Amino acid sequence: MKSITTFITISILTGFIFAGEITGSEVIRKVYDRPTGEDMTANLTMVIENSRGNQRVREIKQYIKDFGDVEKKIMFFQAPADVKNTAFMNWSYDEASKSDDQWIYLPALKKVKRISSDSRSDYFMGSDFTYDDLGDRHPDEDLHKLLREEKVDGIDTYVVESIPKDKDYMYSRTITWVVKASWIGLRKEFYDEDGELLKILTVNEQKTFGDVVVLTNVKMENVQKNQLTVMKLKDVKINTGIPDNIFTERIMKRGMKK
Amino acid sequence: MSITRRLTFLLLASVVIMGQGIDINGYVRNYLGVLTDGNYDYAINQNTLDLRFNHTAGNVAFYANPYLYQYPQQEMELGLRETYMDIYFDNMDLRIGKQQIIWGKADGVFITDIVSPKDLNEFLLRDFDEIRMGVTSLKADYYRGEQTLELVWIPTFTPTIMPDASSIWSRVPSFTLPVVIDDSRIEVPARLKNSEGFIKYSGMSSLLDFEVMAGIMWDDDPTLHITPIMEGEDPLPAALQLTPEHHRLTLAGGSFSSEWNGIIFRAEGAYYQGKKFMANNNTGLPTDLLEKDYLHYLIGTDLSVGSTWLSFQFIQRAIFNYKDVIVDDRLDNTVTFLANRTYLKDTLTLQLFGYVGLNHQDALIRPSLTYDFADGFEILAGANIFTGDADSSDPGLFGYYADNDMVYVKVKYSF
Repeated sequence: MKSITTFITISILTGFIFAGEITGSEVIRKVYDRPTGEDMTANLTMVIENSRGNQRVREIKQYIKDFGDVEKKIMFFQAPADVKNTAFMNWSYDEASKSDDQWIYLPALKKVKRISSDSRSDYFMGSDFTYDDLGDRHPDEDLHKLLREEKVDGIDTYVVESIPKDKDYMYSRTITWVVKASWIGLRKEFYDEDGELLKILTVNEQKTFGDVVVLTNVKMENVQKNQLTVMKLKDVKINTGIPDNIFTERIMKRGMKK
Repeated sequence: MSITRRLTFLLLASVVIMGQGIDINGYVRNYLGVLTDGNYDYAINQNTLDLRFNHTAGNVAFYANPYLYQYPQQEMELGLRETYMDIYFDNMDLRIGKQQIIWGKADGVFITDIVSPKDLNEFLLRDFDEIRMGVTSLKADYYRGEQTLELVWIPTFTPTIMPDASSIWSRVPSFTLPVVIDDSRIEVPARLKNSEGFIKYSGMSSLLDFEVMAGIMWDDDPTLHITPIMEGEDPLPAALQLTPEHHRLTLAGGSFSSEWNGIIFRAEGAYYQGKKFMANNNTGLPTDLLEKDYLHYLIGTDLSVGSTWLSFQFIQRAIFNYKDVIVDDRLDNTVTFLANRTYLKDTLTLQLFGYVGLNHQDALIRPSLTYDFADGFEILAGANIFTGDADSSDPGLFGYYADNDMVYVKVKYSF
């Protein structure tokens, strides 16, 4: 009886001491579960700058819709001219074990091709963002640890280290600064397979649409190659009721009507 | 109207319609190829202007794709690759006019992708959007969820374009006897009963993309009817009369692609009914024709190994109820492969593509290197290497051109 009483007392005390504290996993889960709206339309501009300061610009019109257990995204490439009217579609599943489905429409071939989503470590259109950087990485794919709390430019943040469960993943670990008040990832560091700092993601601008916060200007800097990509979202529209049937082969080929 | 006047009209029209809210894009390209035999003759020296006009207003749209090929010391070639109108309904689209219609899951192989005829002026070396010709047709697509039912009606038959007899890509069957060409039956009269019709049902899902199709068509490649020409009392023919003629074909087939563990698996096949095959008579001359069915199919896979994208396809054509007198092999096997890798933030692309004919041990190998100088501006250097024995009596599809190895450069600006 005494041992049972002792156990209950310790349990209550332990619960009392850590009430109000949060784990790294819970922080990342809150970032993942942050409201993103039912759908979003935006014009995306990527400015890719190499180590000599030369810039290239990519322009994309994108539509995203949350269908509950699957998020569907369709992108229409607008510039440069040699990729104009190329379309890319991605279906991303909540189920961590289910990989994305991806298709591409190449105007020169005039057909939609299913492509492998196994290329998550490939760089998106020559930018410093990999396909995986652009997606919502499921929290269950990493082990998370709350390192500390820190003020960044006067903003209170949690600093969380995430180590992938898959040892072959392209990053050995990432460190994310998460804003306490909004669960926005304000800054993220990516470390390569040797544990060296590879890239730094910083949020330059964010806009609020109702309860949805959208990162409208982010910079990814590759510190090893001294090159960077700035990604800007313009003409952002949230919850406009994008029809379900635009995430189809028909619209990939045809594009959205003007 | 002369080519110069047509070109002037085209450019003036472009200027005028730019003010009408019509999108214009396209490219200019210089394409220089040199044969690597002893004389280093130019295989091609071409300047290209390719324009695409499109405009959408509500539920209607139009698209036009005029192109111009200019060659030094030769007449310019001006044409319309496509020109069509679209009408969009809630669950249906109609497309009317000259259009490229591309079906199937195969890359670089034509199994169910037989609606649009081919331009083989440069064998299989042109870009695929230049090989496939637009065909004047009415296409209706009915959509239900992720499924599509597509109907195509082609009122007038358009055959495959073959190279001129003077072209290095011309392929003339070799005979021991002199030949006389009779073109009197090559045309398929333009009348309703000579229409072509196709149907396709397709779907897309997380598990599988599929297409099921059927068609009643004309064989794009003419059958060569060979008649011995006898003279006097000589029991042996003095010459052969070759009469090319297109015949009806029916086919049914399908294709699918799916992903498993990061690897794409693809397959495509079609059963062709009523193909006429050349066959040898009892004197060894291929004057007979035997009508046989055949199956043409492919299995393929796409995968990434590190940062290299790889693709492989195995293609087989199998003739049913085969007779030994048929000139073609009972089984014709081909393999294709593709390796592609990019460097320097996707500005440098190294690619190796090839067809390998397993029956004749011949091949076409196409290495290339593309560099994007600036957005929309690229230079491509490549080679077309044909292996096999061109002097053989049966050199195969690629071995026939074993003397046509070439290197080439394409400089292209897209706008």
